Order: sequence, then structure tokens, then C-alpha cells
Amino acid sequence: MALLSKTKEQNPSIVKYWRKNPKSIDKFQFIYHFLPHPEHKRRATLLSNKALVIYCLVIMLTIGSLRFFPKFAPGVLGYASSINMKDLLVDSNKMRTDRGLSALRVNAKLTEAAQEKAANMFKDQYWAHVSPSGSEPWDFILKQNYDYTYAGENLAKNFSTSQDVVTAWYNSPSHRENLLSPNYDEVGFAVVNGVLDGYETTLVVQMFGRPRDPHQVATVEEEDNVLSKAAISTGEATQPEGAPAPVVNIKQPAVLPAIDVATATRYVTLSFAGFLTLLLFLDIWYTRKKGIAKLNGHTIAHITIFIMVILSIWIVLRPGLII
Amino acid sequence: MTEKARHIAEYAVLAIASTILLAAFYYLRFEKNALMVLFGISSGFYAIWGIIHHALESRLTKSIFFEYILFGFLIFLLLFFALNI
Repeated sequence: MALLSKTKEQNPSIVKYWRKNPKSIDKFQFIYHFLPHPEHKRRATLLSNKALVIYCLVIMLTIGSLRFFPKFAPGVLGYASSINMKDLLVDSNKMRTDRGLSALRVNAKLTEAAQEKAANMFKDQYWAHVSPSGSEPWDFILKQNYDYTYAGENLAKNFSTSQDVVTAWYNSPSHRENLLSPNYDEVGFAVVNGVLDGYETTLVVQMFGRPRDPHQVATVEEEDNVLSKAAISTGEATQPEGAPAPVVNIKQPAVLPAIDVATATRYVTLSFAGFLTLLLFLDIWYTRKKGIAKLNGHTIAHITIFIMVILSIWIVLRPGLII
Repeated sequence: MTEKARHIAEYAVLAIASTILLAAFYYLRFEKNALMVLFGISSGFYAIWGIIHHALESRLTKSIFFEYILFGFLIFLLLFFALNI
């Protein structure tokens, strides 16, 4: 046994004592949770198949509890965001002007329609282009007496920045079609904070239109007027019992939930994957150091795939959904 | 093909596939449904790669078989958890 070999040379009587009293060395066995066992010729306990089964079960339980917990404590979990209407407009128009298209003007009626749509989604707890009662985007637009020849709608939720929202729309063919359509002259945005399915989040609604009368296109003054409005209304939508009322902001919305799910899951998964990768590196080092011949899967292969997972979580994966 | 050359070739397949999958994750990072399919492909590929690799070495035991299945499933769960949808 590795831990005994050095002591044996120093004091053979201690080894005899340990052989007679095996329980006295139990405490030294703890190390083999992290290092491969030279005598049993096995991986560290924390890398055993049993441990892997436990990890899988714990992750599945955590995923399940994240689905159910918000039902009991709405608004505690959520997605922190700092999305604002002005950045959405600037980023959307940059996408258009870079491709030789005209910039969109913000229209007050389309903005009002977008805000009503967002408030309606929080009120009826849905996230879709058509509401459970059958209301379509055009119903919200027509309700504002906006007479159009073309109209469209993009939706987003759970994003943290305005740029991420616009980039996501740009990367989706159907949303890009709206974003870069030459048929639209005007746009309206809603950036609404509230609780949806128990999660505190920000819903983004983007409504496009071309007025039937070309002279009706919003002027610069009208656009500035809409953009300069801030925090125009509070609590328009009816929330589920116990949930905070939605706050409709135009200028500087920010969602700061008690627990930011996106950040929490990101750091938990990165820490856990990092911990397992460290154990796998320790496995290689200790196995080579002690010349342990064990029959198991290839550690380097496991490390390769875990590095891929860590890079994916660290660099690529971001919260946010679009429809 | 020597044992060492086969070993290198098999690891090259794993490294190239991992790089391609990472690139695909990046390209489809806003398409959550596509990402879910890619996560499934990644974990399935890894489990199958490991099992075939050990079968070719005539070192495939029940324990190693389950080890690759479990590692594959674990990476799927980690990616799914991180995607947070």
C-alpha cells in the first residue's frame, strides 16, 4: 500500500500494528476518494461508476427542482437583464443600414401595441405569437388604430443584454426576415419585466409596420418623444398570486432577481466540470507516479470531452429564447 | 496499422469530432432545439467512440461499457443544465 511503504522502512513495528488493527488506518483511506487506489487498482471513488450515477441523479433532481421551485416561490429565481429600448433600436437599425436598408423609426402606436402584448403575456402567463384566447399580433396593432400594409412581430425572453437579443434575431432566418425586411418603415418595442412561469424575467416584443399612408411615418420628434419616456406604467397586468407586478420600462429596465438562474447554473456546471477534470488529471499523474495498472476507460478521452463541455459552457452557451 | 498508429488515429477522431461539435454549438447557439439535438449527438458519439475504441483493443468490460455510457450521459446533463431552458 502506497501510504504504508515509506513508514515500513522507517518503523516496521507500526506496520505490524496497522495489520492487526486495520481500522486505525481508515482515516488515510479518505485520500482514495480523490486518487486511484494502488492495491484495488481502481479510479478514485469520486470517479467510480457509482459516483457517476449519483452525479447524474443529482443533476436530474436539480433540473426538476428548477422546474417546480418557481411555482412555490415565484420571482425568487430569474434572469438578470439590462435590456433597453434605445439599444434595441440602435442595434436593429445598424443591422439594416449595414446592408443598405433604411433605418426604422420608432412609432408610438406600435410601441403601445408591443407593450400591451407583453403585458398580456404576463397576465395570461404565455409566451407565443398567438395568445391562449386566440389574439394575434395584428389584433394588438389594430387596437391602437395603426392602419398598416405590412406588419410583423419578434419575441424574446431571458436574455441579459440588448445586443444578445438582436444578434439572436439576426441568427434566426425567420426573425432576420422581419429584422431586414424592406417592407417595414416603423418599429415599436416593449421591454417588460415581470414573472412568467414563476421566473422573474424580461420579455422583449418588437413590432414592425408600414403605415398605409406613407405620410403617417413617425417623424424624428415623435421618435424622440417615445424614446425619452421612462417607466411609464406599473402593474398594468394581473400577476399570479404572490408574484411581483410587471414593470413596463422604456428607458432603463433592469431585472435583478434574488437568484440569477443563468449565472448560477453557469458557475455550478463550470465548477463541477472543472472539479471532475481536475480529478481526471490527478488520476493520470498518480497512476503514472505509482505505476498502477488499472482496467478502465481512457482518462485522456474523458478529459478531452470535459474540456469541450467546459469551453461550450464558458464561451458558447448563453440564456435567451426567441420565437 | 500498428497499435500506436491506431491509437493516435482514434484519438484524432475524438479531437476532430469535439472541435466540430464545439463549432456547431457556436453556430447554432441561438437555436435551442438544435442545440438539444447536438447535445444528444455529442453524448451518444462519445459513448460509442469509447465502446468501439475499447472493443478494438479487446479491453471492453462491462464496467468500461457503463463508464462510457455514464460519462456520455453526464456530459449531456451538464450541457442541458447549463443551457437552462
